[in-house]
Amino acid sequence: MINYSPKRSDEPIWWGLFGAGGVWFAMITPVTVLVMGILLPLHGFGLVDISYDKVYAFVSSPIGGGFTVLSLSLPMWHAMHRVHHGLHDLQIHLGSVGKYACYLAAALVTVLATVWVIQLS
Amino acid sequence: MTEHNIQTVNILRYDPEKNNEPFLETFKVPADNTTSIQDALAYIKDHMDKSLSYRWSCRMAICGSCGVMVNKVPKLACKTFLRDYPEGVTLEPLANFAIEKDLVVDKAPFLERLEAMKPYIIGNDRKPEDGPNLQTPAQMAKYKQFAGCINCGLCYAACPQFGLNPEFIGPAAITLAHRYNLDSRDLGKVERMKLINGKDGAWGCTFVGYCSKVCPKHVDPAAAVNQSKVESAKDFIINMITMKEA
Repeated sequence: MINYSPKRSDEPIWWGLFGAGGVWFAMITPVTVLVMGILLPLHGFGLVDISYDKVYAFVSSPIGGGFTVLSLSLPMWHAMHRVHHGLHDLQIHLGSVGKYACYLAAALVTVLATVWVIQLS
Repeated sequence: MTEHNIQTVNILRYDPEKNNEPFLETFKVPADNTTSIQDALAYIKDHMDKSLSYRWSCRMAICGSCGVMVNKVPKLACKTFLRDYPEGVTLEPLANFAIEKDLVVDKAPFLERLEAMKPYIIGNDRKPEDGPNLQTPAQMAKYKQFAGCINCGLCYAACPQFGLNPEFIGPAAITLAHRYNLDSRDLGKVERMKLINGKDGAWGCTFVGYCSKVCPKHVDPAAAVNQSKVESAKDFIINMITMKEA
């Protein structure tokens, strides 16, 4: 039987974060890895002068801080949404416990990242 | 391939009045390059076992009646040929549906879903004397692909979510709703979004995408369902801003 007046799903919230995380992870994270993980350790091939002070100033600025929080949290929302639905696909049905455990993990990373970045500035 | 060879066709048989559970029966069918699965079924019914039940009608992939599982893959029997299965085939009724007899399944849950989506133009008060309701090519292009559905149900047999959750509205019905929601002549979107917005609507899908793979008309139901998620998310935000009842 079809339920003709279903409750509105809260999924748009989680799916929105999942989508934002996917875009961030696909488009921005690779650049971040390239710059932070490869170019900077190689001293930008002599083109960039990087130091602790400069990175500190970036992360403690509003834009740099926001960037850092989003870099850490959005891919986490993406991943935990996938884990939540992946468990269902694998027929491991944890119900709302699984759902809230997944999203709490993502929320925890978001809160921790925010707190750490705020503490810096 | 030789002109007329003998092909093995295994069929999952089930007669609720005689059998406790379905069982496989093997038939040897003469086949050439033009023998479709449907031809093979007709041969078996005409020459080997007249009690065999299966659905068919048009023989040209437009009526959507002859869906069966061919080696576990949902296919139209009329559009699938024995020549592509030199090792033989195993035919089973469409997955995720209850068997009525042999290859005939109970499609009532599927038809109920199509009907629930109100797949007709709503809220357009044009009268015949107003003449044809013209659309620009751009307006038609928006929904034309999704209008190609022949209601065969292969996407439901393919959908693991429908298999796990029988309450899921499913690919074809959501596609049909999306097709009318995108139609410039239609004003019934609000009525259809109610079911799409629920957890068994568009949000019951986890974008496995197998529905689009098996669709014999290349309708791409997975695209329609995921575009419906965007529509539902927009509806969610608008509803939040305007604070209307869900």
